[in-house]
Amino acid sequence: MGNTLAARRGATYELQQGYRLMMLPAVLAVVLFAIVPLAGMFALAFSDYHLIRGTNWEFGWRNFVRMLSDKRLMNSVYVMAALSVFGVIAQVLIGSAVAVGLQKITGRWRVGRVLFLLPYAVPHVAVALIWLSLFTPTLSPINAFFDLFGVTVPAFLTSQWGAIFAIVVADTWTNFPFAMLIIMAALQGISPDLEEAAAIDGATRVRTFIHITLPLLTPALLMITLFRFIDSLKHFPMIFVMTKGGPGRSTQATNYYAYVQTFQNSNVAYGAAIAVMLFLTAALISYHVAKLNQRVTT
Amino acid sequence: MKRMLKTVVAASIALTASVASLTAKADEVNVLMFGMPYTNGLQALAADFEAETGIKANIDVVGQDVFENRITLTFTGGTGDIDVVHTPVIQVQRWIQAGWLQPMTDAVAEMPGAADILAGPLGAYNVNGDQWALPFFAGVGLMSYREDVLEAAGVGVPETWAEMLEIAPKISNDEHAAIALRAVPGQGFNMFIFPMVMRAYGGSFFADYEGGDLTPAINSPENVEALKVYVELINEYGPEGAGNFNFAEVNAAAQNGQIVFAVEGTGIISQIVDPDKSRFAENTGIALPPGGPAGRSPAIGVHGMGIPASAANPDLAAKFIEWAVSAETVSKIALAQSFPDFTTASVAENPDVVAKYAAIHPDFLSTRVAALDLAIGHYRPLIPEWPALGQAIGESVNAAINGLMSPEDALEQAEQDMRDILGL
Amino acid sequence: MGRIVLRGVQKDFGADTVIPPLDLEIDEGEFVVFVGPSGCGKSTLLRLIAGLEDVTAGAIDIDGVDATDAAPGKRGLAMVFQSYALYPHLTVAQNIAFPMRMAKLSTAEQTRRIDDAARVLNLTDYLDRRPGQLSGGQRQRVAIGRAIVREPTAFLFDEPLSNLDAALRVGMRLEISELHKRLKTTMVYVTHDQVEAMTMADKIVVLNAGVIEQVGSPLELYNAPRNLFVARFIGSPMMNILEGRAASEHGAAAIGVRPEHLSLSTASGAWAGRVGLSEHLGSDTFVRVTLDDVDEPLTVRAAGERHFNVGDTVHVSPDADKLHRFDESGLRVV
Ligand SMILES: Nc1ncnc2c1ncn2[C@@H]1O[C@H](COP(=O)(O)OP(=O)(O)O)[C@@H](O)[C@H]1O
Ligand SMILES: [Mg+2]
Repeated sequence: MGNTLAARRGATYELQQGYRLMMLPAVLAVVLFAIVPLAGMFALAFSDYHLIRGTNWEFGWRNFVRMLSDKRLMNSVYVMAALSVFGVIAQVLIGSAVAVGLQKITGRWRVGRVLFLLPYAVPHVAVALIWLSLFTPTLSPINAFFDLFGVTVPAFLTSQWGAIFAIVVADTWTNFPFAMLIIMAALQGISPDLEEAAAIDGATRVRTFIHITLPLLTPALLMITLFRFIDSLKHFPMIFVMTKGGPGRSTQATNYYAYVQTFQNSNVAYGAAIAVMLFLTAALISYHVAKLNQRVTT
Repeated sequence: MKRMLKTVVAASIALTASVASLTAKADEVNVLMFGMPYTNGLQALAADFEAETGIKANIDVVGQDVFENRITLTFTGGTGDIDVVHTPVIQVQRWIQAGWLQPMTDAVAEMPGAADILAGPLGAYNVNGDQWALPFFAGVGLMSYREDVLEAAGVGVPETWAEMLEIAPKISNDEHAAIALRAVPGQGFNMFIFPMVMRAYGGSFFADYEGGDLTPAINSPENVEALKVYVELINEYGPEGAGNFNFAEVNAAAQNGQIVFAVEGTGIISQIVDPDKSRFAENTGIALPPGGPAGRSPAIGVHGMGIPASAANPDLAAKFIEWAVSAETVSKIALAQSFPDFTTASVAENPDVVAKYAAIHPDFLSTRVAALDLAIGHYRPLIPEWPALGQAIGESVNAAINGLMSPEDALEQAEQDMRDILGL
Repeated sequence: MGRIVLRGVQKDFGADTVIPPLDLEIDEGEFVVFVGPSGCGKSTLLRLIAGLEDVTAGAIDIDGVDATDAAPGKRGLAMVFQSYALYPHLTVAQNIAFPMRMAKLSTAEQTRRIDDAARVLNLTDYLDRRPGQLSGGQRQRVAIGRAIVREPTAFLFDEPLSNLDAALRVGMRLEISELHKRLKTTMVYVTHDQVEAMTMADKIVVLNAGVIEQVGSPLELYNAPRNLFVARFIGSPMMNILEGRAASEHGAAAIGVRPEHLSLSTASGAWAGRVGLSEHLGSDTFVRVTLDDVDEPLTVRAAGERHFNVGDTVHVSPDADKLHRFDESGLRVV
């Protein structure tokens, strides 16, 4: 009896054990560095943890109720929406265009692939510094160049939409390669026969792209949009370096506002409540996009 | 419920902080600072401290945002992995209130070197009768100006902001703007510079700070007038894009000859007048920042070192701080780094130090001392809520500069924000 | 309609000449099969006709019009790929409709043709499925359906059956042949399988390293292979080739005899040898016989079930009328 049991366990049992063991570090890491801090964040959000006033642990939903009437928060949500929507659209469009272009290019120009990846490797703070100087008229070579012809390039960072534009540009510059990579991988997964079949079926290049390539890229496009959108909810380094949330509060996105509440205003609990809201937003979007993705791919 | 919440928070904070505290050892002192010339110089001298005392000093110098994150975790978690912490005077009230620091009154009483520390900056850390930190840095507001441009225009150095406004149109041309001032919002950015104008016009943050009446008064007519001056100087007489300038942009504009006047902290001014850094330095002079009807109030920013309440080795920490602000150590740093902002008085008598900064600019050290004399300790209010107030007011000032609001509306909004933050 | 003429067509990939200049005429309504070993350039030649590759030199006329530089979609051709190349995100009906949509045919006309094609190809029940939900044979039919509805001047097939299992392959072979009979449209069909070529073609083009070895009807190729390459390539099992003494007896450098043109006797015959392994197919038996002075064993076809023991001595005689003779350069001697 014991013998047969041992025999049954056999190789697959050991394999399974091995696989589980392989997962252990990842599970531990998730529990320790994601779930525990997340639980802490939720707990804080339902408290009145304040560095100056002291802490009241019985606070219930009051942080969330306060959020409903917080005009600065509302403003930050609009700012975040503008930065995210424009940024993600630009990144996905430019990333896809470059990916499609690179795929068609043959010969020596293929080195371009590596070149286009570079912006993704630059740390965000450095990216922000680069674009801050490009958008600062007294420092920018762009302004210097146009000054030669007596053309004054306006200062972007001192107007509301100019500053949003500038941050979107910086964010797009550093993040479009991510979209490009994913689209390149997706394009590789599309059999070249399909394009040829479409060509024979009488489709022009444009119509082939619209009717064949694009629909086949949809899952990848959805995925990048989701990833970039969620990541864009965490907007911080660009704002911190380029505008400090200005002019006024024009680029104070929600994550930046949470930082102000936590670190400047000492209101750790309210900052946590905002973070919880951002987290739930991201989770909600992920869930819906995952469902949408399923519908598209099957 | 309460117990559970507390446990979860403590667990999550402790988890993150404990990773850092693994390094804490009994015979070592752990120091956390953020990057500036003095702290970089100090880090380079860690071996000297060990040679003198046999105690190993782990000096961590990080960026300011990383710093804020780390101390918040360490302090709230009470993990004791930091023995000495960079303590800006602007934060000290808040940290005391939050119970994050331990007083070092007794330790300082036994330090012979403490008498060598400038009284003003030292006093800034004396709160509720206790000494909470020792200063190593006092930056003050100064003004640099292009002597050649003023001479060519036949105008003198302005004594007041009103004179500055008069002179400005005469020296603005295609080559250079008249002046650049910090505009980006933040208590350490535009709110380091703007109060100089405010106070010159007789404005203040509160109804009566010294008398203890902390009713917000940021919307006073004096402050509105001051803000109008600030806005006009930046928008009419500043370079293109000045509405988003921070100290780095002001510094660059001055070094590139794009502006005539800069009103900045000593750290930046010392670079603007340094012939090694700026090719206009030969023709650049130094003066006190302009004043106004209510006198002259140079900006002041003090940084020091304190001991966290949870520090594992407070005695070693005190010993380290004593060494770090000693005349010998500070002189070494003043010579190795661009660091004229020392608060250890006798360093100013060190002939090498004097020679070094005289070579940069003959008036530099003397003007700095004159400005320090004029500066008031509560240039920015020394209350725990200041970081929040400074942030909110800074946002309003920036909004006025960039035309999102009129100066009146901007300060009205700042007034409201102050009330909200103070719970009035 | 459907006459394709290649004049001096050449194709280089970089420095490699895959197809040296080549002339070929495909007549209207013909079922032409390009056959040859893998890598010999069959697909390339087909793709040149389709317009998926540009010719390096030469010209391609379709129905008397120079189509050398015409876009693939403008040549009036339909193509069925080895991979089927169905659009995975479209339903069967949408896949079939695609070329008509591109041609902006009326919806009514589209529906009519889809229904017709689906009926012929037994796809009526699957019109709403996606390609991923179909079997290999069904996908093949969809690909054919998509080709049919265009009403092309010629069909191009690139190894359309090689992804199917043996039984399906035979069925589809018949279906395509029947389709050809019904439509009477020119079909150009690429395969490396000579059985497909023999069973389907009106005209076979044997390719080797980009060069046409012979063009002719299946029986012409079978009965009169122009050279040793064609002789070996056409026919199953492969033709036996003998050199040396046996060949010089017939005044040739090499002689070839198909297994079915050899007779086996235990008593006497032209050549003596020893029996090797036998393959019993039921209807036939293929016996390997190693001749005394020849390395390669001969394959002999014996009708019905014949049993020999390995090592038995036997005699093999060729059918003198069916003997193929080749000269030194491998060309047929008449
Ligand atoms: N796009 C290409 N680039 C370079 N060489 C190619 C390309 N396509 C085919 N070839 C080469 O041309 C030769 C003929 O290929 P192909 O026409 O596909 O052969 P077949 O279809 O007869 O198996 C092969 O040697 C192949 O490697
Ligand atoms: Mg092929």
